[in-house]
Amino acid sequence: MAQPFVKKDDDRDDEDEYSPFMGIEKGAVLQEARVFNDPQLDAKRCSQVITKLLYLLNQGETFTKTEATGVFFAVTKLFQSRDTGLRRMVYLMIKEISPSADEVIIVTSSLMKDMNSRTDMYRANAIRVLCQITDGTLLTQIERYLKQAIVDKNPVVASAAIVSGIHLLQTAPEIVKRWSNEVQEAIQSRAALVQFHALALLHQIRQNDRLAVSKLVTSLTKGSIRSPLAQCLLIRYTSQVIRESVVNIQTGDRPFFDYIEGCLRHKTEMVIFEAARAITELSNVTARELTPAITVIQLFLSSSKPVLRFAAIRTLNKVAMTHPMAVTNCNIDMESLISDQNRSIATLAITTLLKTGNESSVDRLMKQITNFMSDIADEFKIVVVEAIRSLCLKFPLKYRSLMNFLSSILREEGGFEYKKAIVDAIVIIIRDIPDAKESGLLHLCEFIEDCEFTYLSTQILHFLGNEGPKTSDPSKYIRYIYNRVILENATIRASAVSTLAKFGAMVDSLKPRIFILLRRCLSDNDDEVRDRATLYFNYLEGDGPVVETEESVKDFLFGSLDIPLGNLETGLKNYIQDPSEEPFDVNSVPKEVKSQPPAEKKAPSRKPTTGLGTLPAGLTSSADAYENLLSSIQEFASFGKLFKSSVPVELTEEETEYAVNVVKHIFDHHVVFQYNCTNTIPEQVLENVTVIVDASEAEEFSEVASKPLRSLPYDTPGQTFVAFEKPQGVPVVGKFSNMLRFTVKEVDPSTGEAEDDGVEDEYQLEDFEVVAADYMLKVGVSNFRNAWESMGPDCERIDEYGLGPRESLAEAVNAVIQLLGMQPCEGTEVVPSNSRSHTCLLSGVYIGNVKVLVRLSLGIDGAKEVSMKLAVRSEDGNVSDAIHETVASG
Amino acid sequence: MLLAVLIANSEGNILVERFNGVPAEERLHWRSFLVKLGADNLKGVKNEELLVASHKSVYIVYTVLGDVSIFVVGKDEYDELALAEAIFVITSALKDVCGKPPTERLFLDKYGKICLCLDEIVWKGLLENTDKERIKRLVRLKPPTEF
Repeated sequence: MAQPFVKKDDDRDDEDEYSPFMGIEKGAVLQEARVFNDPQLDAKRCSQVITKLLYLLNQGETFTKTEATGVFFAVTKLFQSRDTGLRRMVYLMIKEISPSADEVIIVTSSLMKDMNSRTDMYRANAIRVLCQITDGTLLTQIERYLKQAIVDKNPVVASAAIVSGIHLLQTAPEIVKRWSNEVQEAIQSRAALVQFHALALLHQIRQNDRLAVSKLVTSLTKGSIRSPLAQCLLIRYTSQVIRESVVNIQTGDRPFFDYIEGCLRHKTEMVIFEAARAITELSNVTARELTPAITVIQLFLSSSKPVLRFAAIRTLNKVAMTHPMAVTNCNIDMESLISDQNRSIATLAITTLLKTGNESSVDRLMKQITNFMSDIADEFKIVVVEAIRSLCLKFPLKYRSLMNFLSSILREEGGFEYKKAIVDAIVIIIRDIPDAKESGLLHLCEFIEDCEFTYLSTQILHFLGNEGPKTSDPSKYIRYIYNRVILENATIRASAVSTLAKFGAMVDSLKPRIFILLRRCLSDNDDEVRDRATLYFNYLEGDGPVVETEESVKDFLFGSLDIPLGNLETGLKNYIQDPSEEPFDVNSVPKEVKSQPPAEKKAPSRKPTTGLGTLPAGLTSSADAYENLLSSIQEFASFGKLFKSSVPVELTEEETEYAVNVVKHIFDHHVVFQYNCTNTIPEQVLENVTVIVDASEAEEFSEVASKPLRSLPYDTPGQTFVAFEKPQGVPVVGKFSNMLRFTVKEVDPSTGEAEDDGVEDEYQLEDFEVVAADYMLKVGVSNFRNAWESMGPDCERIDEYGLGPRESLAEAVNAVIQLLGMQPCEGTEVVPSNSRSHTCLLSGVYIGNVKVLVRLSLGIDGAKEVSMKLAVRSEDGNVSDAIHETVASG
Repeated sequence: MLLAVLIANSEGNILVERFNGVPAEERLHWRSFLVKLGADNLKGVKNEELLVASHKSVYIVYTVLGDVSIFVVGKDEYDELALAEAIFVITSALKDVCGKPPTERLFLDKYGKICLCLDEIVWKGLLENTDKERIKRLVRLKPPTEF
């Protein structure tokens, strides 16, 4: 039985308050759906039940498979009714249930019938339902009808077919692509929406064919589009074509620009706006091109419609990032938006003004922002803080009022992300504007007195330790720091102890007092705090076991940990797994950043092998292992400290009888080639294995030693070595040819014993080279800018190079990185697609332990010619020159 | 893509919720986000006055009509201006079906019709019909008058 709508509740006077769906239950509604099976259908009641089902679905209720199937089968019965209202509901209901593939068959025939019905609206709806529930095979059956429908005189039928096409393009692109002619015809339709939908579909069909899109734009911009929505689409497609085409160098004109500019005078706001926005987004847009667009957008700023104001200010905000001067004319209009009811608009207005404002307007702006900050959410506040930071760096003289503003908002309520943004801003301002340092540090000190975030407190304490001792009166910070030792949790206490030690090391006059404070920490109940206090106490006092010079104390306290943390972690894990009496030596941790050895990628199928020789290079333990291995060989023991070991270079094809790769070990005065050999033939054993190296194309290398491998049984890797002498500290390069020479003996597979007699044989290996990158260690820096500044321009060398035509900027950047063998910093090795210029930052340590930093600025022109500016800073001018020579000869 | 159309009552209970191309696990998040957005900003707003917000590349335009609040969410070509167009169609259709800015009761009474209208306006994330007169006829399976 159908449940009647619940009657009015006695407690309620107002009928309006009351829901007809009150107390609705899925089970009961499903029971009611049985009414669909009645021989005499009651159309009104059926519609009511469908409404209830829709209500349930719209509330997020889900039906089980059985329930959905039941409802679906029952609903299909309703095709018998001739009631149009009910039929419309049935179409919607089938779409909402979206029956499974094996059930669809039940309604296909009814829908096919409707699709060919004389009633247009049956056709339109049947198309939409069929296209939603259909699969590929059914689609080929109905394709003919769909093509007809696209050019149907009734715009609703045409739109239904075209929009279905847009959806079907995802699942059956091949079929939809065949409809191009019909869709093309539909674009000429007089019905605005058909035009809009047809344009969208045609563009999607052709989007991967630049020429076709360009043709489409060319024909339509001549003026056959009436629908404003379609016009907006056309503007988008046109600006895409402009982006991909070349500006006429002589006149500076862009193709189609006149069309877009003409749209600025369209009668519909939406079109005007789309055109203005398209102009502002053109690459390398000129002031002449921008002006009319900005003028139009300026008018929207004072529109009564919030959406237009929002769109306008959002666009100006983007323009201000690249062309702040173009937006300054709108400053007055934007200032009035600071008090806009809509906070999104107000925030955008403020951040735009902060980008476009001049020095004289800063104070006035800050006053307005102060009132505004109290009633916006944290995420908006963060945007404002970031804008203020940039403003302060732009107008350093205004630091006082900006810093005061930051400190005042730091004292107010706010979440972690917001507070972190403020602290970061203050720290950056202190770093970049020396005058702001003292007041900034005091603001931070006051903040940690009442800071609820451990992370921020420790960050500030660390910063204070580095910067505080360099101020005119370091003693005034001690109180704030020591308060942390008394009042805070263990993590913060430990940081505070480190900070105190830094003051003690740097400021002699404070040292005795710092001792007193550190001594108090010696009995802290936390291990870490106590250990730190003891360590620093001994260090500073100068009588502990680790006593060193004053210089090394400072080095210890302030020097950065120049070991990649990942390597340190692996080193410590290995140490714990294999405990020894020896204390862990931090110097044993390799400094080179991990990289995936190419040898591993090349031969994924190769069996895992044991033995030092095949240790994948790059793993942290490998450098260590190599060093131990080489120093244990008498012939090489006198070569000194190993500077670098390369990744293994394969010298044989995959799946050959003998697999050989070489690792290049670089010493100051020597190189050692380690040939890792594997015998893959079970019936053979190789003896006296050596590699005969021809160094005729490596003139500056002379062979000094060779260590043969006595025996190479099946599947047990072994190594043979050859050492060369080379000029000391000089990065000489050369090419080496290699021949594997050995005595081969047959093995009896049953006993595994080798025969006594063997035959001498040779096996040709591939050549390899020693290149400039072999003399460079990949060592990253955490803050490139700081490292660059502190290196100074004394040994800077700058030059420009043409790299010739390249596939892309990314490929050029990659080639230079490979050539130099340096570590890319701060993710700058990634080149955004389609960018025309890029800056890449590299860091490394050159042979002789000379730190090197490189700044690459590359640009690519229309003909794909790449030019590069290379700036090198290092601790040695000769090394900077050598880097340039590498690039010049590479 | 028009990612969502959501209609809620004045207490933030969902009356209609239609998502397109939004994974099921993100829907709950969107629902609570939109309801909170409405609770924070819609108080005292006049009927059909549009509010707008954006988060990364997603835009939200929302408004009040009688007792219900309406939210539309879009990305890419459905930016704030296109969404304003969509929400204008939705509010016009609602007023048309209900005869006035609806009370919650009136809205629920006309629930079936409203679902049909929304089905004509937005279909699987694309704006399909924009003229309220035409929509009024289409939900009764009548062809458009201009044809």
